[in-house]
Amino acid sequence: MSGAAIPRGGLAKFRLPLALVICAAVVYAATALGTAQGEQLSWSGVMGLLQRMVALGIVAVGQTLVLLVGSIDLSVANLISVSAVIASHVMNGNTDAIALGVLAAIAIGILVGAVNGVLVAKLKVSPLIATLGVGLVLQGVLTTSYETLAGSVPASFRVLAYGRVAGLPLAILLLIVVVALAGFVLARTAAGYRLYGVGGNVQTARLAGIRTDRFIIGAHIAASVTAAISGLYLASWLGAGTPWVGRDGGYDLDSIAVVVIGGTLLSGGRGGVAGTIAGVFVFATIDAVFNMLQIDPFLGQVLRGVIVVGAVASYTIRTKAHVA
Amino acid sequence: MSSMGAISIWTTEPEALLTMRDISKSFLGVRVLSHIGFDCRAGEVHALCGENGAGKSTLMKILSGAFPADEGTIVLDGTVRRFTHPSQARAAGIGIIHQELSLLPHRSVAENIYLGREPSRGGVVDRARMGRDARRVLSRLGSTIEPQAQTGDLTIAEQQVVEIAKALAVDARVLVFDEPTAPLDVVESGKLFRVIAELRATGVAIIYISHRMREVFEIADRVTVLKDGRGMATLTAAQATPDAVIRLMVGRPISDLFPPRATRPPGAVVLQIQDGANGHLAGINLTLRAGEIMGVAGLEGSGKMELARAIFGDEPFTSGEITLLSGAAAAWSPREAVRRGVAFLPDDRKSEGLGLRQSLRDNALVVRRSLSRALALPSRGNRAPAIFDALFRKVEMRAADVDAPVGRLSGGNQQKVIVARWLAAEPRLWIVAEPTRGIDVGAKAAIYGLLRDYAESGGAVLMISSDLTEIIGESDRIAVMAGGRIVVELPPGASEEAIMAHAVHGPQVAEALA
Repeated sequence: MSGAAIPRGGLAKFRLPLALVICAAVVYAATALGTAQGEQLSWSGVMGLLQRMVALGIVAVGQTLVLLVGSIDLSVANLISVSAVIASHVMNGNTDAIALGVLAAIAIGILVGAVNGVLVAKLKVSPLIATLGVGLVLQGVLTTSYETLAGSVPASFRVLAYGRVAGLPLAILLLIVVVALAGFVLARTAAGYRLYGVGGNVQTARLAGIRTDRFIIGAHIAASVTAAISGLYLASWLGAGTPWVGRDGGYDLDSIAVVVIGGTLLSGGRGGVAGTIAGVFVFATIDAVFNMLQIDPFLGQVLRGVIVVGAVASYTIRTKAHVA
Repeated sequence: MSSMGAISIWTTEPEALLTMRDISKSFLGVRVLSHIGFDCRAGEVHALCGENGAGKSTLMKILSGAFPADEGTIVLDGTVRRFTHPSQARAAGIGIIHQELSLLPHRSVAENIYLGREPSRGGVVDRARMGRDARRVLSRLGSTIEPQAQTGDLTIAEQQVVEIAKALAVDARVLVFDEPTAPLDVVESGKLFRVIAELRATGVAIIYISHRMREVFEIADRVTVLKDGRGMATLTAAQATPDAVIRLMVGRPISDLFPPRATRPPGAVVLQIQDGANGHLAGINLTLRAGEIMGVAGLEGSGKMELARAIFGDEPFTSGEITLLSGAAAAWSPREAVRRGVAFLPDDRKSEGLGLRQSLRDNALVVRRSLSRALALPSRGNRAPAIFDALFRKVEMRAADVDAPVGRLSGGNQQKVIVARWLAAEPRLWIVAEPTRGIDVGAKAAIYGLLRDYAESGGAVLMISSDLTEIIGESDRIAVMAGGRIVVELPPGASEEAIMAHAVHGPQVAEALA
């Protein structure tokens, strides 16, 4: 390699996520045609498919940041429930309280993220244990106090889930904004570069003068805020938050699964949001296809598992071949 | 470059760019450094020699800000400095090239060089400038590594150049090299020495730590010897003969390092390989007899490590015949090799040899346990103190606390734990790879003695090494590898030049020199 700057890795890095996206899209189209459900390929059908990505996609972006910095967040599903419930409770059908409700949900996200981050970065608790514990606390508090927290979001807030701008669902726009923002920070800013540095090797980053704790805490806060946003979206979608919305959606393990399908290393330092979104698309398509075929959705779970393991194995094999 | 200013000092009087004065340090009441004085001039290579535990790394850690000195001062460029964090020392222009490279394998070369100080506008990285700057720093080192290349794809030697570039990018005026050639072969080391010479010419002050005496004498302008936390002497290149330095370090001459060669003619054939080949090796024919130590030399990538792994069954031969103690060895695997009496001392002690967080006891007994029945009771010897007492006595190790994690031991003692582990299995053939890498002279002598004693008692040793001094000093026969083949077998005491000539002129010569 010499001469003009060659873009490193180029598309090669994204080859597997891209292949998965194309496969998923082809299977989706074939199923729609094969089952005579052509309307699934119309604009609104495709938008419906993409909208399935929103809740998981937003929180998966946050999970990507946490995994990149070398940590993990198992509390996101429970935090999604907390956010949805708190937002509905604060809003309580009142349009004037929308801003307050959103603020309350985001504030709780920041708080939970800070707790997770401090536990991991300062107290050196294993992130698996720290965030599992925080998640259990959240779920416990929520379940016991749910009756006093009842409420629902006002109709005007449901625009977030059902509204459209120039034919494009608002929710998809929101996902695009979150992805673009995270992608820009990771790929273009010094903060993003340093985040990769911390995830790749904490000691190296520390010796380079990077305040590594701040990045770990920051990534956890970002992840919790994305969980809070997903919770807000689900409250808007369902009309009210319930204490099980996050857990039943499986957002904790699913968000980790889509990130690793996208090529981000579980140990940190390599990856990005583009791959994550590919993973989210694949999961959304599996759901849609099984729905069209009217197959038991639990079989979809099997396929998801196979894809996660297969993707990670293929990355590992390729990395090994590279070294040898 | 700010280093230019230093050159003017040169022309008047060689004044030190860095002076460490009267440095003392104690840990838990034990004095590890006692009034050490050390200085390094701009445009000088100053070697720091001493056994492990002599205080070299403590001194360098104080210099790099890892921890402060109890007494004494550091003067850099006429100013007294006190570093409380490594990043302060780095910003002041002190760069350290660690033995274990600390690069991010998944990031580009440029991203590694500028980690934490990326050129940016309003937080957005100026990638074009970063690439240009990286290319400039690399070219100063005479390197054509592509700044956009992924760092993990580079060879160890190239990564080391990146590490040096990383230090230079913060205008390092003092560069500390800590055992830089440990992972390099002779050709790569030669390239590194040329880079160091270039740096010296541009006025960088270079502190060079190595256990390889030969290279210290090759590149150092001055040599300071530490022993037991005290400065023994600072010698000029002319004064620093190998014998003088080693005598200062250990109090005995170099010739005592190696035990006398085999006294008896070699015995029965222990290992025979006919036309062994796999993905890395071809046409391997080798016979090893009881009582022999066979040295295997070769450049990085010559296949010498692959040969060790093939014989031990880690990556076995896919064709050819391997006979061990007159039984053909089929379905070869490490477990099979261990059962048939083969021991293996891997080259990478930390990642392949030891469970660093596990106790000395567990590490020393792992082979014995792997061979015992799965349901054998621990009382049947696996925990009995008498067993590892005997083992540790054999390897001349004073084990204070057998429950302490092995990672706390010095490199030499860690190596002894691995040796002890295999002694418990009473092996017939011992494959040792880089047996003394990164360990001090005293422990080296002990390992050489152990291997010779083992051979004298009827064992066979295959010793893979990049250290030609030990290949020549310890081997009864020397096999030289290149391009996955054994290119020649030389008699004991062959010259270094003869070994290198064969190693370099193997089939891969063009690639190795490229």
